[in-house]
Amino acid sequence: MLHLLKIEWLKIKNYRVFWIFSVFYLVSIFIVTYIAWYIEKRTKTEIPESEMILGSSFSFPKVWHTVGWLSSWLLYFPGMIIIMLMVNEVNFKTHRQNIIDGWSRQQFIGVKIALVVIFAVLITFLNILTGLFFGSLSGSDFTLDGTSYIFYIFIQALAYLFFALMLAVLFRRSMLAIVIFFLYGLIFEWLIAALTTYQLKLAPLGYFLPLQASDVLIPIPFGEKVFYPDSPGTSALVIAVIAYITLYVFFARKKFLIDDL
Amino acid sequence: MSTVLTIDNLTKYYGPIRALNNVSFNVPEGSVFGILGPNGSGKTTMLGIIMDILKPSSGHYLWKGQRGSAKMRQQIGTLLETPNFYHYLSGIRNLHIAAEIKQKGREDIEKVLHLVNLWQRKDSKFSTYSLGMKQRLAIASTLLGNPDILVFDEPTNGLDPAGIAEIRELIRQINRQGKTIIMASHILDEVEKVCTHVAIIQKGELKASGSVKEILDTKQVDETVIEIAADDLIALRTIMEQIDGLMDLTVADHHLQVAFTNGITATEVNRLCFEKGIVLSRLNVKRKSLETTFLEITGTKSER
Repeated sequence: MLHLLKIEWLKIKNYRVFWIFSVFYLVSIFIVTYIAWYIEKRTKTEIPESEMILGSSFSFPKVWHTVGWLSSWLLYFPGMIIIMLMVNEVNFKTHRQNIIDGWSRQQFIGVKIALVVIFAVLITFLNILTGLFFGSLSGSDFTLDGTSYIFYIFIQALAYLFFALMLAVLFRRSMLAIVIFFLYGLIFEWLIAALTTYQLKLAPLGYFLPLQASDVLIPIPFGEKVFYPDSPGTSALVIAVIAYITLYVFFARKKFLIDDL
Repeated sequence: MSTVLTIDNLTKYYGPIRALNNVSFNVPEGSVFGILGPNGSGKTTMLGIIMDILKPSSGHYLWKGQRGSAKMRQQIGTLLETPNFYHYLSGIRNLHIAAEIKQKGREDIEKVLHLVNLWQRKDSKFSTYSLGMKQRLAIASTLLGNPDILVFDEPTNGLDPAGIAEIRELIRQINRQGKTIIMASHILDEVEKVCTHVAIIQKGELKASGSVKEILDTKQVDETVIEIAADDLIALRTIMEQIDGLMDLTVADHHLQVAFTNGITATEVNRLCFEKGIVLSRLNVKRKSLETTFLEITGTKSER
């Protein structure tokens, strides 16, 4: 697998779009968190009573939750990168050439799956750094409490990225896969979730939608009871997210192994 | 001669369309094996199946008596349909990737780039290459690690006449080293010039396969085609028309083309004319070309 990853690295190393997107993502996480941090600070200085409602979102251990929630909105970036990397191969027909040159289909899709896991690890690591930075900025002492959020951040990243990979393998067109990824994640899933939860009173059904399950794991840091009434327990959600990840990997792999390329 | 590739009853459907229908043939070791057929006849589909990028609807294939595998493909240099490379990478970086996948090491890269005259442009991005350069990079890639089997799909596609001649010479040269070359082409001339064996495919059906000589012979029956000329073409024509077994006589600008059955040879024609007092200024026995045979096998153009 290490050799396969080395080849994957040769493909990515000089791909400028990849680096631009990655830097953009990196900077975005920091800026978004900084803005949120700044707003909270100003609100508290100007209306001291607000501290009662807001709490301190950026002190340990709450900071993991806050950073995780903020950065979850940015997961569409690495999702798009995954779609691009996969669809590029189809566009250039290099997925064929790699196999012609002596990779098995299992190896080709296997290394893409490994790449997603590596991305998810890097994203988690980036979140840890951001959390540590803003946590210490708030002058609170580091505790191990709340670090379960780091695990949630990791499986949320896995869920988003594998969802993106599956779309890329199924649709083979970057625009189509990206549009579906955005439309579904940002609009349709919210609509369906809101409909089932508020209108049809089918909670917790709406919380178990593919991306929603991981979103609810890291709910909005304030007023979560309003936004997510009757949300299911974390263990149920974790199981659901892991089940989804398994399904995404299964379908992406299956499709790649048995179809004409 | 042992068999490098066995194709056994391959059938492939794309939805309701049958692209290949029960195609079977063997590729002997050390041959230059041409797969000949018009566009859309199923050549690329067949090569795609034996390289595991397309799944056959039924039938199977064996490389050197074994089922196809990634390990096996590493020992085969293949150019399929179009040159497939990462557009944003330079030629040499693309070859790095190919060499790593083939597990061949990078020491061959300089040699193969020189061989196809791309060394000077090795650091240019693939997307800036002309069609001919892309094709040459793809051919360079197939030569990495000096494989014993090469598969070329339309290898001279997009090349200029000099490039075409170079690639043909390269193919002959590779074959002289005892390597087996499988080459798909719709260009008869190309197949006739470099191939020792040929399989003719039309609309997914195998029409004929064997050595080029066999294919030409089976269709030749005992027909002789001769071009003749003399000072007095009219008199010559009269003599020809008296010969038993004349099948066809075509008058060209400065010669006649005659076709005989009955095994009449050029010597007999020459003697006959001389006896009748006509001296031939031209006598040319035409070997039937693969093109004629191909058209006989596959029918007229409109039938394709």
